[in-house]
Amino acid sequence: MGREHLTNDEFFTQLANLFEHNRTKGHGSVYLTQKRLTFDSTSTPATLTKVADDPLWDTHPENPLPVLIRASNNRSDKKAGTDRKDIAKIVLSTIVKPDDIDTFYIRYAEACKTGMSSLKKRDRKKGKKDKKKKKVAA
Amino acid sequence: MPYLKTSTEWYEQSSLLLKARPTTTRITSKYTVLKPSASKIKKREKYAAKQAAKPADTSRTSSPPPQSNPTDVTATFILKTYDPVSGTCLQYETTKGAEVGRLINSLGRLGREMAALPEAIDDLSAPQDAGVATPNVDEQGDVKMAGVPVPAAAGTGAGKKKKKGKK
Repeated sequence: MGREHLTNDEFFTQLANLFEHNRTKGHGSVYLTQKRLTFDSTSTPATLTKVADDPLWDTHPENPLPVLIRASNNRSDKKAGTDRKDIAKIVLSTIVKPDDIDTFYIRYAEACKTGMSSLKKRDRKKGKKDKKKKKVAA
Repeated sequence: MPYLKTSTEWYEQSSLLLKARPTTTRITSKYTVLKPSASKIKKREKYAAKQAAKPADTSRTSSPPPQSNPTDVTATFILKTYDPVSGTCLQYETTKGAEVGRLINSLGRLGREMAALPEAIDDLSAPQDAGVATPNVDEQGDVKMAGVPVPAAAGTGAGKKKKKGKK
C-alpha cells in the first residue's frame, strides 16, 4: 500500500472520474471511507500516545487531527455470457486538514450529488398529477 | 448489523459511537448500481402485468404512476459506521437521490468529530443550510437541537457505548 495521498483538488477530479467510470459501465459500486488519521509519516505527533491511566485517552486529543478519506471502485472479472470486463481496482485517498474540513465537505457533497445520478429522482410532481386525475375521475 | 430506519437516527447513533471511540471508528459509504438479474426482470414483468390487470377488475381509473422499465438498474447508497474494537456497526440505506446532500452533510459533521473539532458553529453551517430545500432545514434544525445536549452528556454516553460493546 505504498501509494501516495492525493491533494484535495486531485482527489475530487479523480473521484469525478470514478463516478463517471461507474456511469459508463452502467453498474458497479463506489466505496467512500472516512476515518481519523492517527499517525503521519512526515510529522509524528506526540499528541496521541496512549495514556495508561486514562481509558478515554483518545476522546480528548490536544490538537485537532486530520481526517483520511478513501475512495475506490469494485474490481470485476470477465464473466462469460455477460458484458462484464476485467476491471482493475482503483483506489484513491486524501488527507483533509482540520481547517479545510468544512470546505472539503461542501465540495464532497457536490461531487457525490452529481456522481450518484442513478439513485431515484424526486417524483413529487407525478404524485400530484395523479391525485388530480383521481379527483377528476371521481 | 442493524439498519437504522431514519438518517437522523443513524447520525445520532454514529455521533455517540464516534465520541466513545474516535480513533478506531470509520465510516464507509457505498454507492452501488446493480443490473437486475434475468429472474429479477421476469419477476418485475410479472408484477407489472399483475398491476396492469388489477385496475380493470376493480374498475379503478387511476393506478400508481407507471411502473419503471423492468430492466432498470437499482441504485442504493449505504452508510456504515463501524468500530472494529467494540464490533459496533450502524447502517443506513437509501435509494433516494434527494437524500444524498443531507447525508454527506452529516458525514461532514461526523468528520468534524473525527478531527476532534468542536461541533459546527451556526455561522459555519448557515451557508450550507441556505442551499438546501426547506424541509431539509427543518430536519437540520432537529438535528442541531438534538446535538446540543449531547456534548454535556458526552461522558456518560461514552460510558454507555463501551458497556454495550463489551457484551
